[in-house]
Amino acid sequence: MKQGMLGAFRELDATCLAIEELKKKKVGEVTVFTPTPRHEIEHAMKSPMSKVRQFTLIGALSGCVFGYWIAIWTSEYWPLVVGGKAISTWIPYTIFGFEVMVLVGGLSTVAGFFILSRIPRLTMTVGYDPRFSHGDYGVWVKCAPEQLKTAEEILRRNGAVEVRGEG
Amino acid sequence: MTAIPQPGAGEPRRPNISSASIQLPAVTTYEQVDNEIIDTLKPTKKWFMALLLAITCLAIGAGSWTYQIHEGLGVAGYNPPVMWGVYIITFVFWVGIGHAGTLISAILYLFRAGFRTTIYRAAEAMTVFAVMTAGLFPIIHIGRPWKFFWLLPYPNWRLLWPQFKSPLVWDVFAILTYLTISTTFLFIGLIPDIAVLRDREKNPTKKAILSALSFGWRNSEAEWRHFVRAYLFLAAFSTPLVLSVHSVVSFDFAMALTPGWHTTIFPPYFVAGAIFSGFAMVWTIIIPIRKWWKLEHYVTLNHLDATAKMVLFTSLVVGLAYMIEFFIAWYGGVEAEQAYFWNRVFGQWWWAAWIMLTCNMILPLSLFSQKLRRNPSWLWILSIFINIGMWFERFVIVVPSLSHEFEPWQWSGYMPTWVDYGILLGSFGWFFMWFLLFIRQLPVFALSEIKEIVPPRMKHGHSHTGGH
Repeated sequence: MKQGMLGAFRELDATCLAIEELKKKKVGEVTVFTPTPRHEIEHAMKSPMSKVRQFTLIGALSGCVFGYWIAIWTSEYWPLVVGGKAISTWIPYTIFGFEVMVLVGGLSTVAGFFILSRIPRLTMTVGYDPRFSHGDYGVWVKCAPEQLKTAEEILRRNGAVEVRGEG
Repeated sequence: MTAIPQPGAGEPRRPNISSASIQLPAVTTYEQVDNEIIDTLKPTKKWFMALLLAITCLAIGAGSWTYQIHEGLGVAGYNPPVMWGVYIITFVFWVGIGHAGTLISAILYLFRAGFRTTIYRAAEAMTVFAVMTAGLFPIIHIGRPWKFFWLLPYPNWRLLWPQFKSPLVWDVFAILTYLTISTTFLFIGLIPDIAVLRDREKNPTKKAILSALSFGWRNSEAEWRHFVRAYLFLAAFSTPLVLSVHSVVSFDFAMALTPGWHTTIFPPYFVAGAIFSGFAMVWTIIIPIRKWWKLEHYVTLNHLDATAKMVLFTSLVVGLAYMIEFFIAWYGGVEAEQAYFWNRVFGQWWWAAWIMLTCNMILPLSLFSQKLRRNPSWLWILSIFINIGMWFERFVIVVPSLSHEFEPWQWSGYMPTWVDYGILLGSFGWFFMWFLLFIRQLPVFALSEIKEIVPPRMKHGHSHTGGH
């Protein structure tokens, strides 16, 4: 039993037209493969904004708090007066707040990217073809068996150079 | 494979390159990008010779360090009170080199400067390997490298933590953060390109390794959407980070009450100098790469011209900083400061100071000429002079200050020994060894980002270049 239909395109505009028609006719779930990010595809897909920023914000705030906390807590834990300065001195400790903010914020951004993109992925899922990293565009339509024919027609009509069922 | 177009063909003699969107007219298809850039992964005789040279230099450095560990720091040419020498100079030098990578990959990305696209991967890799090299030097400098972990933030047996008011501890945090973030930035950018290599690979073992390194990346629209956003935020984090790291390195000096060091100009002065030297090292690396692999139509003369303007600008900033240092010494009226600056330029250290001034201030003025800005051979020669000049800048900062402090009975000299020179040479071997291994295994130009500026194939109409 085929899970869906895969179309390979040579041209960007043809890919976008196929996506728009599939979306308009509500044929299955569309996944697009592109060798490089293209805003035309993003517009055609009408995808929501990435939530990576939430990971970034939470990571950065946590890192900043931890950076200040480690410097202040360790100073207070064993107070040593240096040069007549206060035990906890805010200005130098801002360096730690900043550095740890960047460190944890950056790493949590990467974690967010991995989680949202669902990588690492151990096996290639159906609907992928190596040519999509090279120069071609791919449209994978995961749909019910009764919609396979419609999906194939839309992909071919819009200029897919190859259409095949996968699953 | 598409025939390789001639460099600069059809380019006007005096092009206007003020626009940020610098295109690649000789690159027309995505397939051409993959084929030509992946060709750089094939080993060549020149590559093997360069690697052999780098490993030889590294072996000399490793031998010198081993000798120093066995004999003690006394063999390193330190002469009290000059207890910072070649190792700290070289540490600052390599941290500085590491700065242009992040500037090119992050700051120029945020500013949408198109000329970065073809050079940023090499610059990012350079950053990582330069910071790895820099990180060795504090360890070499402390003499007993096995005690290095004392600087890390953990308590000793009396539950006493590192002194968070010390610039040396700030430095540890700054450098480790910088190394982590710049490595992450490099690797994240590499994931889609590794997927390209994976999809072309026929050897099952190599394919499995590349599959693991690409994390199963499929080029889906959703993956790209998160990738672009994550990349943007990493660039946004890296931008203040790159400015902060060399500021923190400058605090190692500026927080001390030493003539020539205790000055508020140090952070911007160090940052400008770091960008200046980093761009020079990018030239040192990228100009041979574009020539040897015939990639002049990727790193075009327009790109080199744009980088030359950055070098010229940062050279002027650095030159202004040198002049301001003299002005403040005169205007401040502190006798020790004035004596120090006189000694630096006209006294004991005149030769080092004039090497610095010639290489960093005078020779880069040639870049006012557009003809020279568009001459790769001159840019490469100039890059070597700038690298030398910037090493001597750090020499001039470190050694003359320590050898000419407040009390005349303390004044002394300093001369590096063969151990210092051996370790300095070894650091270049270490850096270039990693870089050469990198360019043999992974694309030195970013495939996916270059594809973004190549017009995509269209059936019906036109498209704007630049994917996001």
